Amino acid sequence: MAAYLARRIGQSLLTVFLTLTTVFLLVRLAPGDPAAAYAPPTASSADLQRIRAQFGLDGPLITQYGIFLRDLFTGDLGTSYSFRAPAFDVVMDRMPYTITLAVSAIAVTTVIAVPLGVWMARRADTKRELGANVLTIAGQSMPDFWTGVMLLTVFAVLVPVLPASGFTSWSGLVLPTVTVAILQLALVSRLVRREMTVALAAPYTTVARSRGVSERALAWRYGLRNSAVPLLTALGTRFAALLNGVVVVEVVFGWPGVGSLVVRALATRDYPLIQATVVVTATLAILVQLIVDLAYPLLDPRVRLGKAA
Amino acid sequence: MSEETSLLDVDELQIELITANGVVRAVDGVSFTVGRGETVTLIGESGSGKSTTAMGVLRLLPEGLAVCSGSVRIAGRDVIADPGAAPAVRGRTVSLIPQAPMTALSPVHSIGRQLGGAIRLCHPELSRAEARDRGTELLAQVRISKPETRWKAYPHQFSGGMLQRILIAIALAGEPQLLVADEPTSALDATVQASVLDLLMELQERTGVGMLMITHDLGVARLVSDRIHVMKDGRFVESGPAEQIVRRPAEPYTRDLLAAVPRLGAWDEDGEGHTEPAVQGAAS
Repeated sequence: MAAYLARRIGQSLLTVFLTLTTVFLLVRLAPGDPAAAYAPPTASSADLQRIRAQFGLDGPLITQYGIFLRDLFTGDLGTSYSFRAPAFDVVMDRMPYTITLAVSAIAVTTVIAVPLGVWMARRADTKRELGANVLTIAGQSMPDFWTGVMLLTVFAVLVPVLPASGFTSWSGLVLPTVTVAILQLALVSRLVRREMTVALAAPYTTVARSRGVSERALAWRYGLRNSAVPLLTALGTRFAALLNGVVVVEVVFGWPGVGSLVVRALATRDYPLIQATVVVTATLAILVQLIVDLAYPLLDPRVRLGKAA
Repeated sequence: MSEETSLLDVDELQIELITANGVVRAVDGVSFTVGRGETVTLIGESGSGKSTTAMGVLRLLPEGLAVCSGSVRIAGRDVIADPGAAPAVRGRTVSLIPQAPMTALSPVHSIGRQLGGAIRLCHPELSRAEARDRGTELLAQVRISKPETRWKAYPHQFSGGMLQRILIAIALAGEPQLLVADEPTSALDATVQASVLDLLMELQERTGVGMLMITHDLGVARLVSDRIHVMKDGRFVESGPAEQIVRRPAEPYTRDLLAAVPRLGAWDEDGEGHTEPAVQGAAS
Protein backbone atom coordinates (compact mmCIF):
# COMPACT_ATOMS: atom_id res chain seq x y z
CA MET A 1 0.00 0.00 0.00
CA ALA A 2 2.75 2.46 0.94
CA ALA A 3 4.69 1.46 -2.17
CA TYR A 4 1.57 1.90 -4.27
CA LEU A 5 0.95 5.33 -2.81
CA ALA A 6 4.58 6.38 -3.33
CA ARG A 7 4.47 5.23 -6.94
CA ARG A 8 1.20 7.02 -7.59
CA ILE A 9 2.44 10.25 -6.04
CA GLY A 10 5.63 10.04 -8.10
CA GLN A 11 3.59 9.52 -11.25
CA SER A 12 1.38 12.45 -10.31
CA LEU A 13 4.32 14.79 -9.80
CA LEU A 14 5.74 13.76 -13.16
CA THR A 15 2.37 14.40 -14.83
CA VAL A 16 2.10 17.87 -13.30
CA PHE A 17 5.67 18.66 -14.33
CA LEU A 18 5.16 17.53 -17.95
CA THR A 19 1.87 19.42 -18.19
CA LEU A 20 3.52 22.53 -16.87
CA THR A 21 6.45 22.25 -19.30
CA THR A 22 4.04 21.83 -22.21
CA VAL A 23 2.07 24.89 -21.13
CA PHE A 24 5.28 26.88 -20.61
CA LEU A 25 6.31 26.20 -24.20
CA LEU A 26 2.85 26.59 -25.75
CA VAL A 27 2.13 30.04 -24.31
CA ARG A 28 5.50 31.28 -25.57
CA LEU A 29 5.04 29.71 -29.01
CA ALA A 30 1.61 31.28 -29.44
CA PRO A 31 1.61 34.62 -31.25
CA GLY A 32 1.37 37.78 -29.15
CA ASP A 33 3.73 39.77 -26.97
CA PRO A 34 2.99 40.36 -23.27
CA ALA A 35 5.14 43.47 -23.30
CA ALA A 36 2.91 45.04 -25.96
CA ALA A 37 -0.16 44.11 -23.96
CA TYR A 38 1.06 45.93 -20.86
CA ALA A 39 2.89 48.86 -22.42
CA PRO A 40 1.09 52.10 -23.21
CA PRO A 41 0.31 52.50 -26.94
CA THR A 42 2.96 55.20 -27.21
CA ALA A 43 5.76 53.02 -25.85
CA SER A 44 8.98 52.97 -27.80
CA SER A 45 10.78 49.76 -28.67
CA ALA A 46 13.22 50.57 -25.86
CA ASP A 47 10.28 50.74 -23.43
CA LEU A 48 9.03 47.39 -24.72
CA GLN A 49 12.48 45.90 -24.29
CA ARG A 50 12.56 47.18 -20.71
CA ILE A 51 9.17 45.58 -19.93
CA ARG A 52 10.31 42.28 -21.47
CA ALA A 53 13.40 42.36 -19.25
CA GLN A 54 11.19 43.09 -16.25
CA PHE A 55 9.00 40.07 -17.09
CA GLY A 56 12.08 37.93 -17.63
CA LEU A 57 11.21 37.37 -21.27
CA ASP A 58 14.34 38.83 -22.83
CA GLY A 59 16.62 35.80 -22.67
CA PRO A 60 16.55 32.71 -24.93
CA LEU A 61 13.75 30.20 -24.29
CA ILE A 62 16.09 27.70 -22.65
CA THR A 63 17.32 30.31 -20.17
CA GLN A 64 13.76 31.33 -19.36
CA TYR A 65 12.90 27.67 -18.80
CA GLY A 66 15.90 27.24 -16.50
CA ILE A 67 14.83 30.21 -14.39
CA PHE A 68 11.26 28.95 -14.41
CA LEU A 69 12.38 25.54 -13.08
CA ARG A 70 14.62 27.08 -10.43
CA ASP A 71 11.74 29.23 -9.17
CA LEU A 72 9.33 26.30 -9.37
CA PHE A 73 11.45 24.18 -7.04
CA THR A 74 11.56 26.99 -4.51
CA GLY A 75 7.77 27.17 -4.71
CA ASP A 76 7.67 30.42 -6.64
CA LEU A 77 5.28 30.45 -9.58
CA GLY A 78 6.12 33.99 -10.59
CA THR A 79 4.31 37.30 -10.38
CA SER A 80 1.16 37.88 -12.37
CA TYR A 81 1.67 40.62 -14.94
CA SER A 82 -1.83 41.96 -14.68
CA PHE A 83 -2.49 41.56 -10.96
CA ARG A 84 1.04 42.49 -9.94
CA ALA A 85 0.79 39.87 -7.22
CA PRO A 86 2.15 36.32 -6.78
CA ALA A 87 0.37 34.25 -9.46
CA PHE A 88 -0.21 31.35 -7.05
CA ASP A 89 -2.05 33.63 -4.60
CA VAL A 90 -4.22 35.04 -7.38
CA VAL A 91 -5.27 31.50 -8.38
CA MET A 92 -5.85 30.40 -4.79
CA ASP A 93 -8.12 33.41 -4.24
CA ARG A 94 -10.36 32.06 -6.99
CA MET A 95 -10.17 28.35 -6.11
CA PRO A 96 -12.84 28.38 -3.33
CA TYR A 97 -15.42 29.61 -5.85
CA THR A 98 -14.51 26.97 -8.40
CA ILE A 99 -14.50 24.23 -5.76
CA THR A 100 -17.87 25.42 -4.41
CA LEU A 101 -19.44 25.31 -7.87
CA ALA A 102 -17.85 21.94 -8.70
CA VAL A 103 -18.98 20.31 -5.43
CA SER A 104 -22.46 21.75 -5.73
CA ALA A 105 -22.84 20.73 -9.40
CA ILE A 106 -21.55 17.18 -8.81
CA ALA A 107 -23.80 16.79 -5.75
CA VAL A 108 -26.90 17.94 -7.63
CA THR A 109 -25.99 15.76 -10.61
CA THR A 110 -25.55 12.70 -8.38
CA VAL A 111 -28.73 13.26 -6.40
CA ILE A 112 -30.79 13.52 -9.59
CA ALA A 113 -28.96 11.30 -12.07
CA VAL A 114 -28.44 8.22 -9.87
CA PRO A 115 -32.11 7.70 -8.91
CA LEU A 116 -33.04 8.59 -12.48
CA GLY A 117 -30.66 5.93 -13.80
CA VAL A 118 -32.09 3.36 -11.38
CA TRP A 119 -35.59 4.32 -12.46
CA MET A 120 -34.60 3.96 -16.11
CA ALA A 121 -32.96 0.57 -15.54
CA ARG A 122 -36.11 -0.75 -13.88
CA ARG A 123 -38.17 0.44 -16.83
CA ALA A 124 -35.61 -0.42 -19.48
CA ASP A 125 -36.93 -0.16 -23.05
CA THR A 126 -40.29 1.33 -22.13
CA LYS A 127 -41.72 4.56 -23.53
CA ARG A 128 -41.19 6.28 -20.19
CA GLU A 129 -37.51 5.43 -20.23
CA LEU A 130 -37.29 6.76 -23.79
CA GLY A 131 -38.91 9.97 -22.60
CA ALA A 132 -36.36 10.37 -19.82
CA ASN A 133 -33.58 9.72 -22.32
CA VAL A 134 -34.88 12.34 -24.73
CA LEU A 135 -35.09 14.93 -21.95
CA THR A 136 -31.63 14.33 -20.51
CA ILE A 137 -29.97 14.13 -23.92
CA ALA A 138 -31.67 17.37 -24.90
CA GLY A 139 -30.12 18.89 -21.76
CA GLN A 140 -26.71 17.55 -22.70
CA SER A 141 -27.05 18.75 -26.30
CA MET A 142 -27.94 22.34 -25.47
CA PRO A 143 -24.83 24.51 -25.42
CA ASP A 144 -24.12 25.69 -21.87
CA PHE A 145 -24.06 29.39 -22.80
CA TRP A 146 -27.57 28.99 -24.22
CA THR A 147 -28.88 27.03 -21.22
CA GLY A 148 -27.27 29.58 -18.92
CA VAL A 149 -28.73 32.58 -20.71
CA MET A 150 -32.18 30.95 -20.85
CA LEU A 151 -32.10 30.25 -17.11
CA LEU A 152 -30.95 33.80 -16.49
CA THR A 153 -33.75 35.18 -18.63
CA VAL A 154 -36.40 33.18 -16.83
CA PHE A 155 -35.25 33.19 -13.21
CA ALA A 156 -33.35 36.47 -12.98
CA VAL A 157 -35.13 38.71 -15.48
CA LEU A 158 -38.72 37.54 -16.16
CA VAL A 159 -39.30 36.16 -12.67
CA PRO A 160 -36.50 37.79 -10.69
CA VAL A 161 -36.18 35.27 -7.88
CA LEU A 162 -32.45 34.60 -8.23
CA PRO A 163 -29.45 36.85 -8.66
CA ALA A 164 -28.19 37.15 -12.21
CA SER A 165 -24.52 37.46 -11.57
CA GLY A 166 -21.70 37.02 -9.13
CA PHE A 167 -21.56 35.38 -5.75
CA THR A 168 -23.10 37.72 -3.22
CA SER A 169 -25.23 35.12 -1.45
CA TRP A 170 -25.76 31.38 -1.62
CA SER A 171 -28.71 31.87 -3.96
CA GLY A 172 -26.15 33.00 -6.54
CA LEU A 173 -24.97 29.41 -6.67
CA VAL A 174 -28.30 28.04 -7.90
CA LEU A 175 -28.29 29.00 -11.57
CA PRO A 176 -24.65 28.11 -12.33
CA THR A 177 -25.13 24.78 -10.53
CA VAL A 178 -28.28 23.95 -12.48
CA THR A 179 -26.64 24.89 -15.76
CA VAL A 180 -23.66 22.60 -15.12
CA ALA A 181 -25.86 19.78 -13.77
CA ILE A 182 -28.10 19.81 -16.85
CA LEU A 183 -25.00 19.10 -18.95
CA GLN A 184 -23.99 16.11 -16.81
CA LEU A 185 -27.39 14.48 -16.22
CA ALA A 186 -27.61 12.43 -19.40
CA LEU A 187 -24.09 11.08 -19.08
CA VAL A 188 -24.41 9.95 -15.47
CA SER A 189 -27.99 8.64 -15.64
CA ARG A 190 -27.27 6.62 -18.77
CA LEU A 191 -24.13 5.20 -17.21
CA VAL A 192 -26.10 4.09 -14.16
CA ARG A 193 -28.81 2.66 -16.40
CA ARG A 194 -26.30 0.72 -18.54
CA GLU A 195 -24.30 -0.70 -15.62
CA MET A 196 -27.45 -1.60 -13.73
CA THR A 197 -28.92 -3.40 -16.71
CA VAL A 198 -25.85 -5.63 -16.71
CA ALA A 199 -26.03 -6.20 -12.94
CA LEU A 200 -29.77 -6.90 -13.01
CA ALA A 201 -29.25 -9.57 -15.68
CA ALA A 202 -26.42 -11.23 -13.73
CA PRO A 203 -26.99 -14.69 -12.22
CA TYR A 204 -26.61 -13.36 -8.68
CA THR A 205 -29.63 -11.10 -9.21
CA THR A 206 -31.77 -14.03 -10.37
CA VAL A 207 -30.59 -16.09 -7.42
CA ALA A 208 -31.35 -13.21 -5.05
CA ARG A 209 -34.82 -12.95 -6.61
CA SER A 210 -35.26 -16.69 -6.02
CA ARG A 211 -34.80 -16.18 -2.29
CA GLY A 212 -37.52 -13.56 -2.15
CA VAL A 213 -35.59 -10.28 -2.42
CA SER A 214 -38.00 -7.61 -3.69
CA GLU A 215 -37.50 -5.96 -7.08
CA ARG A 216 -36.89 -2.64 -5.36
CA ALA A 217 -34.16 -4.09 -3.14
CA LEU A 218 -32.68 -5.90 -6.13
CA ALA A 219 -32.35 -2.60 -7.97
CA TRP A 220 -30.89 -0.54 -5.13
CA ARG A 221 -28.99 -3.10 -3.11
CA TYR A 222 -27.73 -5.41 -5.84
CA GLY A 223 -27.92 -3.47 -9.10
CA LEU A 224 -26.69 -0.07 -7.95
CA ARG A 225 -24.16 -1.46 -5.51
CA ASN A 226 -22.58 -3.59 -8.24
CA SER A 227 -22.44 -0.51 -10.50
CA ALA A 228 -20.59 1.57 -7.90
CA VAL A 229 -17.09 1.32 -9.39
CA PRO A 230 -17.88 2.64 -12.89
CA LEU A 231 -20.22 5.22 -11.34
CA LEU A 232 -17.52 6.53 -9.03
CA THR A 233 -15.05 6.61 -11.93
CA ALA A 234 -17.43 8.72 -14.01
CA LEU A 235 -18.29 11.08 -11.15
CA GLY A 236 -14.59 11.46 -10.31
CA THR A 237 -13.72 12.32 -13.90
CA ARG A 238 -16.58 14.84 -14.14
CA PHE A 239 -15.60 16.40 -10.81
CA ALA A 240 -11.96 16.72 -11.85
CA ALA A 241 -13.06 18.37 -15.09
CA LEU A 242 -15.24 20.84 -13.17
CA LEU A 243 -12.31 21.75 -10.92
CA ASN A 244 -10.49 23.03 -14.00
CA GLY A 245 -13.15 25.69 -14.12
CA VAL A 246 -16.33 25.85 -16.12
CA VAL A 247 -15.23 28.63 -18.42
CA VAL A 248 -18.45 29.40 -20.27
CA VAL A 249 -20.75 29.09 -17.25
CA GLU A 250 -18.44 31.24 -15.13
CA VAL A 251 -18.36 33.95 -17.78
CA VAL A 252 -22.15 33.88 -18.32
CA PHE A 253 -22.90 34.16 -14.60
CA GLY A 254 -19.96 36.38 -13.67
CA TRP A 255 -18.75 33.62 -11.38
CA PRO A 256 -15.37 34.56 -9.88
CA GLY A 257 -13.78 31.13 -10.37
CA VAL A 258 -10.69 29.81 -12.07
CA GLY A 259 -12.48 29.45 -15.42
CA SER A 260 -13.04 33.16 -15.85
CA LEU A 261 -9.56 33.82 -14.47
CA VAL A 262 -7.91 31.66 -17.11
CA VAL A 263 -9.82 33.46 -19.86
CA ARG A 264 -8.46 36.76 -18.59
CA ALA A 265 -4.94 35.36 -18.16
CA LEU A 266 -4.93 34.07 -21.74
CA ALA A 267 -6.33 37.29 -23.18
CA THR A 268 -3.66 39.38 -21.44
CA ARG A 269 -0.79 36.93 -22.11
CA ASP A 270 -0.22 36.69 -18.38
CA TYR A 271 2.23 33.77 -18.61
CA PRO A 272 2.86 33.25 -14.86
CA LEU A 273 -0.85 33.32 -14.15
CA ILE A 274 -1.60 30.77 -16.89
CA GLN A 275 1.13 28.52 -15.53
CA ALA A 276 -0.04 28.87 -11.94
CA THR A 277 -3.61 28.02 -12.95
CA VAL A 278 -2.40 24.90 -14.71
CA VAL A 279 -0.33 23.77 -11.71
CA VAL A 280 -3.20 24.19 -9.28
CA THR A 281 -5.97 22.68 -11.39
CA ALA A 282 -3.84 19.77 -12.65
CA THR A 283 -2.76 18.94 -9.09
CA LEU A 284 -6.34 19.00 -7.88
CA ALA A 285 -7.57 16.85 -10.76
CA ILE A 286 -4.85 14.29 -10.14
CA LEU A 287 -5.61 14.31 -6.43
CA VAL A 288 -9.28 13.59 -7.11
CA GLN A 289 -8.29 10.71 -9.39
CA LEU A 290 -5.99 9.32 -6.70
CA ILE A 291 -8.76 9.45 -4.09
CA VAL A 292 -11.12 7.69 -6.50
CA ASP A 293 -8.55 4.95 -7.10
CA LEU A 294 -7.99 4.53 -3.36
CA ALA A 295 -11.75 4.09 -2.91
CA TYR A 296 -12.03 1.17 -5.37
CA PRO A 297 -11.10 -1.56 -2.86
CA LEU A 298 -13.77 -0.22 -0.51
CA LEU A 299 -16.41 -0.60 -3.21
CA ASP A 300 -15.25 -3.87 -4.73
CA PRO A 301 -13.47 -6.32 -2.44
CA ARG A 302 -11.93 -8.06 -5.46
CA VAL A 303 -9.84 -5.00 -6.31
CA ARG A 304 -6.39 -4.94 -4.77
CA LEU A 305 -4.35 -1.83 -5.38
CA GLY A 306 -0.94 -2.30 -6.91
CA LYS A 307 -1.62 -5.90 -7.95
CA ALA A 308 -3.31 -5.19 -11.24
CA ALA A 309 -3.11 -1.72 -12.65
CA MET B 1 -54.84 -37.95 -3.46
CA SER B 2 -51.49 -36.60 -4.65
CA GLU B 3 -53.36 -33.42 -5.56
CA GLU B 4 -53.84 -32.77 -1.84
CA THR B 5 -50.41 -33.68 -0.54
CA SER B 6 -48.06 -32.53 -3.30
CA LEU B 7 -45.75 -29.64 -2.54
CA LEU B 8 -45.30 -29.05 -6.21
CA ASP B 9 -47.94 -29.95 -8.73
CA VAL B 10 -47.09 -29.15 -12.33
CA ASP B 11 -49.81 -29.74 -14.86
CA GLU B 12 -49.39 -29.41 -18.63
CA LEU B 13 -46.70 -26.76 -18.26
CA GLN B 14 -45.79 -25.16 -21.55
CA ILE B 15 -43.06 -22.55 -21.91
CA GLU B 16 -42.35 -20.62 -25.07
CA LEU B 17 -39.18 -18.58 -25.26
CA ILE B 18 -38.91 -15.59 -27.53
CA THR B 19 -35.45 -15.70 -29.11
CA ALA B 20 -33.69 -13.90 -31.93
CA ASN B 21 -34.62 -16.80 -34.19
CA GLY B 22 -38.29 -16.73 -33.34
CA VAL B 23 -40.44 -18.41 -30.76
CA VAL B 24 -39.14 -21.69 -29.37
CA ARG B 25 -41.34 -24.08 -27.42
CA ALA B 26 -38.77 -25.07 -24.80
CA VAL B 27 -41.21 -26.96 -22.59
CA ASP B 28 -44.09 -28.71 -24.28
CA GLY B 29 -46.73 -29.88 -21.85
CA VAL B 30 -45.04 -31.60 -18.91
CA SER B 31 -46.84 -32.77 -15.79
CA PHE B 32 -45.28 -34.03 -12.57
CA THR B 33 -45.52 -33.75 -8.81
CA VAL B 34 -43.05 -33.52 -5.94
CA GLY B 35 -44.21 -34.54 -2.49
CA ARG B 36 -42.76 -33.91 0.97
CA GLY B 37 -39.43 -35.58 1.55
CA GLU B 38 -39.36 -36.71 -2.04
CA THR B 39 -36.76 -36.10 -4.72
CA VAL B 40 -37.93 -35.95 -8.29
CA THR B 41 -35.35 -35.55 -11.02
CA LEU B 42 -35.68 -34.10 -14.48
CA ILE B 43 -32.86 -35.45 -16.59
CA GLY B 44 -31.92 -34.68 -20.15
CA GLU B 45 -29.27 -33.28 -22.42
CA SER B 46 -28.63 -29.56 -22.62
CA GLY B 47 -31.43 -27.93 -24.55
CA SER B 48 -33.95 -30.54 -23.46
CA GLY B 49 -35.90 -27.95 -21.46
CA LYS B 50 -35.16 -29.25 -17.98
CA SER B 51 -33.61 -26.04 -16.61
CA THR B 52 -36.26 -23.96 -18.34
CA THR B 53 -38.86 -26.07 -16.53
CA ALA B 54 -37.15 -25.42 -13.19
CA MET B 55 -36.84 -21.69 -13.78
CA GLY B 56 -40.40 -21.58 -15.08
CA VAL B 57 -41.66 -23.27 -11.92
CA LEU B 58 -40.04 -20.43 -9.92
CA ARG B 59 -41.14 -17.80 -12.47
CA LEU B 60 -37.53 -16.71 -12.82
CA LEU B 61 -37.45 -16.61 -16.62
CA PRO B 62 -37.05 -13.08 -17.99
CA GLU B 63 -40.40 -11.30 -18.06
CA GLY B 64 -41.55 -10.66 -21.58
CA LEU B 65 -39.20 -13.23 -23.09
CA ALA B 66 -40.93 -16.32 -21.73
CA VAL B 67 -44.58 -17.23 -22.01
CA CYS B 68 -45.82 -19.87 -19.57
CA SER B 69 -49.12 -21.70 -19.65
CA GLY B 70 -50.62 -24.64 -17.81
CA SER B 71 -50.51 -24.68 -14.06
CA VAL B 72 -47.75 -24.84 -11.45
CA ARG B 73 -49.02 -25.17 -7.90
CA ILE B 74 -46.51 -24.63 -5.13
CA ALA B 75 -48.07 -25.62 -1.81
CA GLY B 76 -51.42 -24.99 -3.44
CA ARG B 77 -50.73 -21.58 -4.99
CA ASP B 78 -50.73 -21.40 -8.77
CA VAL B 79 -47.73 -19.28 -9.73
CA ILE B 80 -48.72 -19.22 -13.40
CA ALA B 81 -52.25 -17.91 -12.89
CA ASP B 82 -51.48 -15.57 -9.98
CA PRO B 83 -48.68 -13.07 -10.62
CA GLY B 84 -48.37 -12.32 -6.90
CA ALA B 85 -47.90 -15.96 -5.94
CA ALA B 86 -44.32 -16.48 -7.11
CA PRO B 87 -42.83 -13.56 -5.15
CA ALA B 88 -44.80 -14.72 -2.11
CA VAL B 89 -43.57 -18.31 -2.14
CA ARG B 90 -39.97 -17.67 -3.19
CA GLY B 91 -37.52 -18.01 -0.33
CA ARG B 92 -40.23 -19.17 2.10
CA THR B 93 -41.98 -22.15 0.56
CA VAL B 94 -39.53 -22.82 -2.25
CA SER B 95 -35.84 -22.04 -2.72
CA LEU B 96 -33.40 -22.37 -5.58
CA ILE B 97 -29.98 -23.98 -5.49
CA PRO B 98 -28.41 -22.49 -8.59
CA GLN B 99 -26.32 -23.92 -11.35
CA ALA B 100 -23.04 -21.97 -11.21
CA PRO B 101 -22.04 -21.14 -7.62
CA MET B 102 -19.17 -18.87 -8.68
CA THR B 103 -21.54 -16.29 -10.18
CA ALA B 104 -24.58 -16.86 -7.97
CA LEU B 105 -23.59 -14.47 -5.18
CA SER B 106 -23.13 -10.73 -5.45
CA PRO B 107 -19.36 -10.20 -5.57
CA VAL B 108 -19.45 -6.93 -3.60
CA HIS B 109 -21.46 -8.17 -0.63
CA SER B 110 -20.03 -10.40 2.08
CA ILE B 111 -21.55 -13.84 2.41
CA GLY B 112 -22.75 -12.87 5.87
CA ARG B 113 -24.60 -9.92 4.41
CA GLN B 114 -26.28 -12.16 1.83
CA LEU B 115 -27.06 -15.03 4.17
CA GLY B 116 -28.10 -12.67 6.97
CA GLY B 117 -30.30 -10.78 4.50
CA ALA B 118 -31.98 -14.01 3.42
CA ILE B 119 -32.66 -14.93 7.03
CA ARG B 120 -34.08 -11.53 7.89
CA LEU B 121 -36.30 -11.52 4.80
CA CYS B 122 -38.15 -14.51 6.25
CA HIS B 123 -37.74 -13.47 9.88
CA PRO B 124 -37.94 -9.66 9.96
CA GLU B 125 -38.26 -9.82 13.74
CA LEU B 126 -34.63 -10.93 14.11
CA SER B 127 -31.91 -8.38 14.78
CA ARG B 128 -28.72 -8.39 12.76
CA ALA B 129 -26.88 -10.14 15.58
CA GLU B 130 -29.58 -12.79 15.92
CA ALA B 131 -29.59 -13.34 12.16
CA ARG B 132 -25.85 -13.73 12.36
CA ASP B 133 -26.09 -16.39 15.07
CA ARG B 134 -28.63 -18.24 13.00
CA GLY B 135 -26.53 -17.83 9.87
CA THR B 136 -23.37 -19.22 11.42
CA GLU B 137 -25.44 -22.17 12.61
CA LEU B 138 -26.65 -22.74 9.05
CA LEU B 139 -23.10 -22.47 7.73
CA ALA B 140 -21.98 -25.05 10.25
CA GLN B 141 -24.82 -27.29 9.09
CA VAL B 142 -23.56 -27.13 5.51
CA ARG B 143 -20.08 -27.99 6.87
CA ILE B 144 -18.37 -24.64 6.48
CA SER B 145 -15.68 -24.77 9.12
CA LYS B 146 -15.17 -21.76 11.43
CA PRO B 147 -18.29 -19.98 10.15
CA GLU B 148 -17.91 -17.04 12.59
CA THR B 149 -14.59 -16.04 11.06
CA ARG B 150 -15.96 -16.33 7.53
CA TRP B 151 -19.09 -14.27 8.05
CA LYS B 152 -17.46 -11.15 6.64
CA ALA B 153 -15.62 -12.89 3.80
CA TYR B 154 -16.54 -12.22 0.18
CA PRO B 155 -17.55 -14.80 -2.43
CA HIS B 156 -14.22 -14.62 -4.31
CA GLN B 157 -12.48 -15.89 -1.17
CA PHE B 158 -14.26 -19.27 -1.36
CA SER B 159 -13.93 -22.28 -3.63
CA GLY B 160 -16.78 -23.39 -5.88
CA GLY B 161 -17.74 -26.27 -3.59
CA MET B 162 -17.81 -24.01 -0.54
CA LEU B 163 -19.88 -21.42 -2.39
CA GLN B 164 -22.37 -24.10 -3.37
CA ARG B 165 -22.68 -25.13 0.28
CA ILE B 166 -23.11 -21.48 1.29
CA LEU B 167 -25.82 -21.19 -1.37
CA ILE B 168 -27.50 -24.24 0.11
CA ALA B 169 -27.38 -22.52 3.52
CA ILE B 170 -28.94 -19.41 1.95
CA ALA B 171 -31.61 -21.54 0.27
CA LEU B 172 -32.42 -23.06 3.67
CA ALA B 173 -32.62 -19.67 5.42
CA GLY B 174 -36.40 -19.43 5.05
CA GLU B 175 -36.98 -23.07 6.04
CA PRO B 176 -38.51 -23.93 2.65
CA GLN B 177 -40.57 -27.03 2.05
CA LEU B 178 -39.29 -27.42 -1.49
CA LEU B 179 -35.83 -27.03 -3.00
CA VAL B 180 -35.30 -26.61 -6.72
CA ALA B 181 -31.74 -27.71 -7.44
CA ASP B 182 -30.77 -26.65 -10.95
CA GLU B 183 -27.70 -28.73 -11.86
CA PRO B 184 -26.28 -28.06 -8.39
CA THR B 185 -23.11 -30.02 -9.01
CA SER B 186 -22.31 -29.68 -12.71
CA ALA B 187 -19.93 -26.74 -12.20
CA LEU B 188 -17.99 -28.58 -9.48
CA ASP B 189 -15.12 -31.09 -9.41
CA ALA B 190 -16.13 -34.75 -9.15
CA THR B 191 -15.04 -35.13 -5.50
CA VAL B 192 -16.77 -31.91 -4.49
CA GLN B 193 -19.89 -33.02 -6.38
CA ALA B 194 -20.14 -36.07 -4.15
CA SER B 195 -19.88 -34.00 -0.98
CA VAL B 196 -22.57 -31.55 -2.11
CA LEU B 197 -24.96 -34.36 -3.07
CA ASP B 198 -24.28 -36.09 0.19
CA LEU B 199 -25.06 -32.88 2.05
CA LEU B 200 -28.33 -32.41 0.16
CA MET B 201 -29.46 -35.93 0.97
CA GLU B 202 -28.57 -35.53 4.62
CA LEU B 203 -30.52 -32.26 4.81
CA GLN B 204 -33.50 -33.89 3.16
CA GLU B 205 -33.42 -36.74 5.63
CA ARG B 206 -33.34 -34.31 8.54
CA THR B 207 -35.84 -31.68 7.35
CA GLY B 208 -38.10 -33.66 5.03
CA VAL B 209 -37.76 -31.03 2.35
CA GLY B 210 -39.03 -31.98 -1.10
CA MET B 211 -36.58 -31.62 -3.95
CA LEU B 212 -36.83 -31.02 -7.66
CA MET B 213 -33.44 -31.97 -9.06
CA ILE B 214 -32.29 -30.94 -12.51
CA THR B 215 -29.32 -32.82 -13.93
CA HIS B 216 -27.86 -34.26 -17.09
CA ASP B 217 -26.03 -36.91 -15.11
CA LEU B 218 -27.80 -40.22 -14.59
CA GLY B 219 -25.27 -41.10 -11.91
CA VAL B 220 -26.44 -38.13 -9.87
CA ALA B 221 -30.09 -38.79 -10.69
CA ARG B 222 -29.89 -42.37 -9.60
CA LEU B 223 -28.18 -41.53 -6.34
CA VAL B 224 -30.66 -38.93 -5.13
CA SER B 225 -33.99 -39.58 -6.86
CA ASP B 226 -37.18 -41.30 -5.92
CA ARG B 227 -38.59 -40.73 -9.38
CA ILE B 228 -36.97 -39.70 -12.64
CA HIS B 229 -38.48 -37.99 -15.66
CA VAL B 230 -36.34 -38.23 -18.77
CA MET B 231 -36.73 -35.09 -20.83
CA LYS B 232 -36.08 -34.51 -24.51
CA ASP B 233 -37.15 -31.62 -26.72
CA GLY B 234 -39.41 -30.20 -24.03
CA ARG B 235 -41.31 -33.44 -23.34
CA PHE B 236 -40.96 -36.37 -20.97
CA VAL B 237 -39.98 -39.42 -22.97
CA GLU B 238 -39.85 -41.76 -20.00
CA SER B 239 -40.89 -41.51 -16.36
CA GLY B 240 -40.69 -43.88 -13.44
CA PRO B 241 -38.97 -44.88 -10.20
CA ALA B 242 -35.23 -44.26 -10.26
CA GLU B 243 -34.18 -47.90 -10.14
CA GLN B 244 -36.48 -48.82 -12.99
CA ILE B 245 -35.19 -46.03 -15.25
CA VAL B 246 -31.58 -46.95 -14.59
CA ARG B 247 -31.89 -50.75 -14.73
CA ARG B 248 -34.52 -51.18 -17.41
CA PRO B 249 -34.55 -48.05 -19.58
CA ALA B 250 -37.30 -48.38 -22.14
CA GLU B 251 -36.23 -45.59 -24.43
CA PRO B 252 -33.09 -45.50 -26.60
CA TYR B 253 -32.58 -41.87 -25.47
CA THR B 254 -32.37 -42.97 -21.84
CA ARG B 255 -29.93 -45.72 -22.78
CA ASP B 256 -27.77 -43.09 -24.49
CA LEU B 257 -27.79 -41.00 -21.32
CA LEU B 258 -26.81 -44.07 -19.30
CA ALA B 259 -23.96 -44.80 -21.68
CA ALA B 260 -22.73 -41.24 -21.19
CA VAL B 261 -22.00 -41.84 -17.48
CA PRO B 262 -18.58 -43.50 -17.29
CA ARG B 263 -18.43 -43.74 -13.52
CA LEU B 264 -21.81 -45.32 -13.04
CA GLY B 265 -20.08 -48.63 -12.39
CA ALA B 266 -18.06 -47.15 -9.55
CA TRP B 267 -21.18 -45.70 -7.94
CA ASP B 268 -22.73 -49.16 -8.18
CA GLU B 269 -19.96 -50.86 -6.31
CA ASP B 270 -18.99 -48.35 -3.66
CA GLY B 271 -22.26 -46.56 -3.12
CA GLU B 272 -22.14 -43.81 -0.52
CA GLY B 273 -19.06 -45.13 1.23
CA HIS B 274 -17.14 -43.74 -1.70
CA THR B 275 -18.18 -40.20 -0.93
CA GLU B 276 -17.03 -40.02 2.66
CA PRO B 277 -13.33 -39.19 2.29
CA ALA B 278 -14.17 -36.60 -0.34
CA VAL B 279 -16.53 -34.85 2.08
CA GLN B 280 -13.88 -34.57 4.73
CA GLY B 281 -11.32 -33.25 2.29
CA ALA B 282 -13.59 -30.64 0.80
CA ALA B 283 -14.99 -29.39 4.07
CA SER B 284 -11.69 -28.63 5.72
